[in-house]
Order: sequence, then C-alpha cells, then structure tokens
Amino acid sequence: MLISPELILAIFGMLVLVVDLIGRARTREWLPWVTVLGFVLAFAATLYIWGSNASIFAGMYSVDMFSLFFKLLATIAGTMIVLVSIDYLRGRTTRQGEFFSIFTFSILAMTMMASSASLLMIYLSIEFLSYTSYLLTGFLREDKKSNEAALKYFLYGAITSAVMLYGLSLLYGVSGSLNLTDIATAFANTVDPSVRTVALVAPALVLAGLGFKISLVPFHQWAPDAYEGAPTPVTAFLSVGPKAVGFAILLRVALTTLPIYQASWIPLLAVISIITMTLGNLVALRQTNIKRLLAYSSIAQAGYMLIGLVGVNLTGNSPFSGLNGVLIYLFAYLFTNLGAFICVIAIENATGAVNIADYAGLVRRAPFVAALFIIFFLSLAGIPPTAGFIGKFFVFGAALREGFLTLAAIGVINSIISVFYYFAVIRAAFFLDAKDPSPIRITPLVTAMLTVTAAMVLLIAVYPQPLFNLAAWSMGMFGVVK
Amino acid sequence: MSLLVFYLFAAIAVLAALGMVVLRNPVHSALSLALVFVSLAAMYVLLSAPFIAVAQVMIYAGAILILFVFVIMLLSPGTDQGVGALKAQRGLAILFGAALLVLLIAVLGGAVLPPTRGTFTPEAIAAEGDTQAVGALLFTNFLLPFEITSILLLVAIVGVIVLAKKRQSISKQ
Repeated sequence: MLISPELILAIFGMLVLVVDLIGRARTREWLPWVTVLGFVLAFAATLYIWGSNASIFAGMYSVDMFSLFFKLLATIAGTMIVLVSIDYLRGRTTRQGEFFSIFTFSILAMTMMASSASLLMIYLSIEFLSYTSYLLTGFLREDKKSNEAALKYFLYGAITSAVMLYGLSLLYGVSGSLNLTDIATAFANTVDPSVRTVALVAPALVLAGLGFKISLVPFHQWAPDAYEGAPTPVTAFLSVGPKAVGFAILLRVALTTLPIYQASWIPLLAVISIITMTLGNLVALRQTNIKRLLAYSSIAQAGYMLIGLVGVNLTGNSPFSGLNGVLIYLFAYLFTNLGAFICVIAIENATGAVNIADYAGLVRRAPFVAALFIIFFLSLAGIPPTAGFIGKFFVFGAALREGFLTLAAIGVINSIISVFYYFAVIRAAFFLDAKDPSPIRITPLVTAMLTVTAAMVLLIAVYPQPLFNLAAWSMGMFGVVK
Repeated sequence: MSLLVFYLFAAIAVLAALGMVVLRNPVHSALSLALVFVSLAAMYVLLSAPFIAVAQVMIYAGAILILFVFVIMLLSPGTDQGVGALKAQRGLAILFGAALLVLLIAVLGGAVLPPTRGTFTPEAIAAEGDTQAVGALLFTNFLLPFEITSILLLVAIVGVIVLAKKRQSISKQ
C-alpha cells in the first residue's frame, strides 16, 4: 500500500494511452478527465497513507511524511495543469492522449523523486522527470520555438546529468553504499582526510544536476528559452514541479547525508542563493515577453527558497527552522506561480499574445484576469496579505535567526527590485491604452482555476495555520536524524 | 598488471570519447562511440563482471550503435561545417572546461580512498556465478529501479512516436 500513489499514477498513465488508442473522437474528450481522476485518486491514496514512515525496497525508497508532502504538492499541481491544458491544447496538437499520458508519468516521476533515498533512485527519478519534461517542452512539433526549447533543454540537461552522475559515483566510491543514511554513517565513522575531501567535492558536482532542476544560477541558462518555447501549461509545470522535487532531493541529501559537513556547504549555498536571486531579478527587469519574465522571476524565487536551507537549524523548538520555511514557501509558490501562468494562458488562449506590450489596457478587456494578476504578483513579490509574504517571512526569519543578516538583507533588497518588473506588467494592464479594446473571453475552466489559485493565495495568508502544521509534520523525520 | 590494463583502456575510452565529440564526420563519431563502449566493456571484465561486459558489447556496441549508423546513413547529413557564430563561446567553454578539469585533478588527485569492498567480491561472484548474481539482484534489491526503467522506456517510445511520426492535420481531430 505504501506505493499506492505511484501505482495509481503508473496505471493511469497507461490507461490514458489505451483510452486514446481504442476510443473514438467522443471518448477522447474524456482523456483529461481520466488524467484528473488519476491525480485525485493518487492524492487520496497519499492522504490514506498519511503518517507512515517506512523504508521499502531495501532502503531505496522512503515513504515518510517529507515525501508525502511533495506527493500532495505534485498531484495538486498535476490536477490544475491538466485542467488549464484542455483549452490550450485544443487546435494546437492532435496528440492529446500522448500529452496527458506523458504528463501523468512526469507527475509519477515527481512522486518518486520525493521518496528517493538511494543514489540510484535519485538518478533514475531525476532522469525520468527530465525525459518527460523534454518531451512535453517539445510537444508542439509544428512550432519552431517549441522544438528549439526542447533541444536546448535536452542538451543542457544531458550535460548536467553527466556531471551529477560523476558526483554520485564518487559518493558511492568513498562510502561503499548507495543508501543516503548509510553514506551518512560512513562519513560519520571516518577520520580519513581523503574521504572528507571527496565528500565535499562530490556533492558540489551533484548540485549541478539538482541546480539544473531547481534552476539555480549558474545552471539556469536553459530556463528562459525552455519556458518561452514550451506550451504554456508545460511552462507552468516546469516552473513549479521540477523545482519543488529538486528541492526535495536537495533537502534530503543535505539533511540526511551531509549534516556533518553543514559548515562547508552553507557558505556555498549562501553564495549561490545570492547570485541566483540577484541575477534572476536584474535580468527580469529587461524582459518584454511575459513567459521569459516569469522564467527569470522563477529563477529568483529559487534563490529565495535556498535562503531557507542556508538558515536551517533543526535543533530547538523555534518556529524558524529554515526547513519549514522552504516547505511553506514551496506551497505558497505553487499556487502563486501557477496562478500567474494561468493568467498568461487565459490571455494566450484568447489572443495568442505573450508580450507585455500586448497587455496594455487589459483592465478593460479582461478585468478579472487583470485584477488577479495583481494578487499573484503581490504574492510573488512577497507583499502582504498574500501567501508569498508568509513564505518569505519564514525563510528570511530563519536566515536572521542563524545570523545571516547580509543574506536576509540582500533577499529583501531583491524583493524590492522584483516589484519593479512585476508592476511593469500591472502598469501596462491598468494605465496604458489598448490597441484593440475588444473584450477577451475567458473560458469557464480557466476562470475556475484562476479563482481556485487566487483563493488559495489569499487563504494561506489569512489562515496559514494548516500549512504551518503540514510543514511541521513533514519535517518531523529530520529532527530524528539530527 | 590489471592496473596497467585499466589505464590502457581508460586512456582509449577518454580519447575515443573526445574523438566522438570533435570528429566532424558523423560516421567517425559513431565509430569512436563504439570504441568507448568496447573499452568500458573491458573495464567490466577487469571488475570480474563478464556478464555486464558482454551485455555492454551486445546492447550498446551491437544494437544501439548499429541503429545509430543506420540512421546516419539514411539521413546522410554530410560533414558538420561547425558553428561560426559561437566561436567566442567555444573558447570560453574550453577555458572553463579546462579550469574545472584542473580543479578536480588538484582536489581529487591527491585523495587516496579507503578500499571499500561491497558484498560482491570476486570470490563471492565466483561462488554464486556472475549472471546469477546480476539476475538475483535485479529482482530483489533493485526491483523498483528495474520496473521504473520499463516505464521510462515506455515513455521514451511514446515520445519518439509523438516527435517523429508523420504529421496529422490538426483539423482532423
């Protein structure tokens, strides 16, 4: 039963293919709903095994609260993205069955990344997610930009995965084990300086692969092109899915395998965090395409999240453990960023426009979308009363608690910089005149998803207690490890 | 002796891998890749894993590479003329690549690792049988990765069909 979410996702991934194969045109209309049913069942299965803390498949697969948190996140993201894909894909591709099937498998890969407790499973699930992401990015074959995006994404991913594999092989070489906790034991039981050297270099190489998934600078160059060229629902997925589970593996490796080297990796991550948020925000200022703007914005967001890991301290009973900050941030970011992308999808569905200049006069053409843009951008910038503020509050709080005053200050300055480019979009939408003032029709499904995401963004801000509890439960296991 | 053989094949593998990237003619690249696979197989033999070595030669050098060569011959793309616009990037790439290489050699070159020995020592493999050991592990400890790989292959097949099959008109929906 412990792998029931994964089994359900695998079965539904294949079921969608079969329905597509034997179904007629009418039955194919049901494909997205079959996919959604799969995600809902997987979500329910995750809740059913809620509270378990087991290590299965010879210690390779860890079904603990930490992984269940990310499985909830993955199935929520999957459901919302499928629902906004329906209108987007109509007329853009004939291969909806394959799209939804590959997408289901990419959510499967996410759930497996969350549970991976062995170097082999980490590598395999990352590759799995990467291949499904490349395929989804290049799914619009007739679109040159989609092809270019997929090729760039693939080449970049292949290189980083090779570097990561070298790091993983070194970790295996010095510890003689693939299991994350066994490696930690091997490191703790040795005084050999060579082991120490390798234990510092190898994770840095592994960070190349994880940084690629999370889009940390300097492993971010693929993101703007892939985000711009990919079908927009896939872009929305890339901006939240791989990033979240990339963090899951980063947190798990850092906190179960490498806690004794914490003093060494914290400065490295602090520097990466600073350059990631600064570069992301500064380059975002110059963007004219909304998808590229959100790409750089999501790079910057990864930098803020990393602050939580830099300020991690699991001892004591402080509400700012750093780890809970990252989890809360990820959850808030999920709804915020998906919401922002659904706004983009709503406009793109109706007009095909993805440039900020095309958003001029949006308040008259689509007042609902324009109003929600404000909510999502406030949340991305971290201004109350939105979910993004709660996330930033906890990661910056953790950094302050651990005495990283400069890091927290740089984070706040970057948040202020980000306000400029977010509000450039809002300025266009509210204060510029539209070239074509005809109203934009938003489909009911997209309206519904916009309402859900916006409601969640506000709900998390006014009633965050359930999310705090969720984060506290999810990180419980790491307290034991320490 | 086995150390000497290792260095020999390691050198061949690295040079062939370089050749695969650097050579302009795609057929030459494919043949260099075959050489990489064969030298890797030789290393598996050194590690007393003859089954993996044979599988490496049969699957990679045999099946996959022959497929590559077929594709190359069918497409007959001619020789790559190089990428003019990216000359500056090439210089930077070589510079940073070399820097990373020097850094890794400097840091890891001096490291003498403890001789960790896993469960499958040459003696244990000799007692159980190499193929048996691989088979037993695949269906016990490594069952999950084994099964996931099969799903991954399914995704790859579906993906290839999506990307490569003849286009259908979108209106035919």
